[in-house]
Amino acid sequence: MSGLQHIACDLCDLLIAAPTIEVGQCALCPRCKHKISRLRPNAFVSLFAYAVTGLVLLVLANSFGLMQFKLAGNVAQITLWQSASELYFDAYKILSVLVFLFTIFFPALVLLMIIMFLITIKTGIGKFYMTSLLRLIFTLIPWSMAEVFIVGIIVSLVKLVTIAQMHLGWSFWAYTAFAFCYLKVLSLVDRYQFWHWIEGWQHD
Amino acid sequence: MTKYSKNSAAAAGLANCLGCGLVSPVEKKQCPRCHAPLNLRKPYSLQLSLALLITAFIIYIPANLVPIMITEKLAKVEYVTILGGIIELWQDGSEPIAVVVFVASVLVPIIKFIILFLLYFSVRFAPGMSITKRMMLFKLTHLIGRWSMVDIFVMAVLVALIQMNHFLSVLPGGGAIAFAAVIILTIFAANSFDPRILWDNLPQSDVDENK
Repeated sequence: MSGLQHIACDLCDLLIAAPTIEVGQCALCPRCKHKISRLRPNAFVSLFAYAVTGLVLLVLANSFGLMQFKLAGNVAQITLWQSASELYFDAYKILSVLVFLFTIFFPALVLLMIIMFLITIKTGIGKFYMTSLLRLIFTLIPWSMAEVFIVGIIVSLVKLVTIAQMHLGWSFWAYTAFAFCYLKVLSLVDRYQFWHWIEGWQHD
Repeated sequence: MTKYSKNSAAAAGLANCLGCGLVSPVEKKQCPRCHAPLNLRKPYSLQLSLALLITAFIIYIPANLVPIMITEKLAKVEYVTILGGIIELWQDGSEPIAVVVFVASVLVPIIKFIILFLLYFSVRFAPGMSITKRMMLFKLTHLIGRWSMVDIFVMAVLVALIQMNHFLSVLPGGGAIAFAAVIILTIFAANSFDPRILWDNLPQSDVDENK
């Protein structure tokens, strides 16, 4: 955290002299024990790798069937996209849009913006939108619910398994792997680290 | 004048930018690094958060009474509320899943309501609970809020998958919209609450104790 003289805890506002922390260490607030910052080893490379992998997996998750349902000769199959789009009728358009945003669009956008951010840090392309990009990333993080959606799929599977033959498609496994990558990315996101990279690049 | 907690940035006239973590004098009004508006505390955090939570609390009533799903089995129509769906799951023999849904859709919103109301009151009135415990509760509300969406996602998947006309089909119900609104409002309420005001209203001795 070089360059800063003081930092304050987000949760209790205690003013502290900015500590120098090594890779692999984290800074805890001495008063409320809140984890203020954590420097992960190889954060840059890992972030890039997990974000790209996550996006590829999300594309794959959209290319196969999510779930199949067989009952008395009737077969129904849905894709990931349909789990949100089929709700799009009558008064339920808003729910359909929300499901799409929370499960596909926001997580994808967060990953994409992180990749854009890392590219800007490395190459300097797109400096002008950097600040807005970062603010948008942190605004969208609470609204991406990939892991919650997986539990939703499992619950609906269990609900139907007593009355019909159920089959999970490749899309489900791709989506699960995507959610894992997404959570890995989130664990590597750190405001102080990000601004440290930006300032390092500004001095060049 | 509001009193700020001892040794806090605000007491020194410094504002911590929640966007980038840079500490700068509050007179600048805008963070010199990331241009986010600078405030010592989130403006009107208690009022805004309380208003959102009360709205959520009111909508929580129709969310539980109006069916979130309508199933049609061989022309027999069934209206499923949140609690009804859980009871059905339990009776079908999938108790563990019934517990998961119960925790996500019933316990989590109620716990969130209780914790946030408790935190608001502890700002104004003498708290019966240590600051460490209250901070833990605050972090808990952030962690659990999103999990209530499970029921909405289940409904979305079932509606998409099961469309066999009168033989067997699932339609969304109005309760789902109300329930989604409750979850979104409570997430906003938790986000707009500024935990730093909990420390500002603490008796000085308690602050020192926790150091």
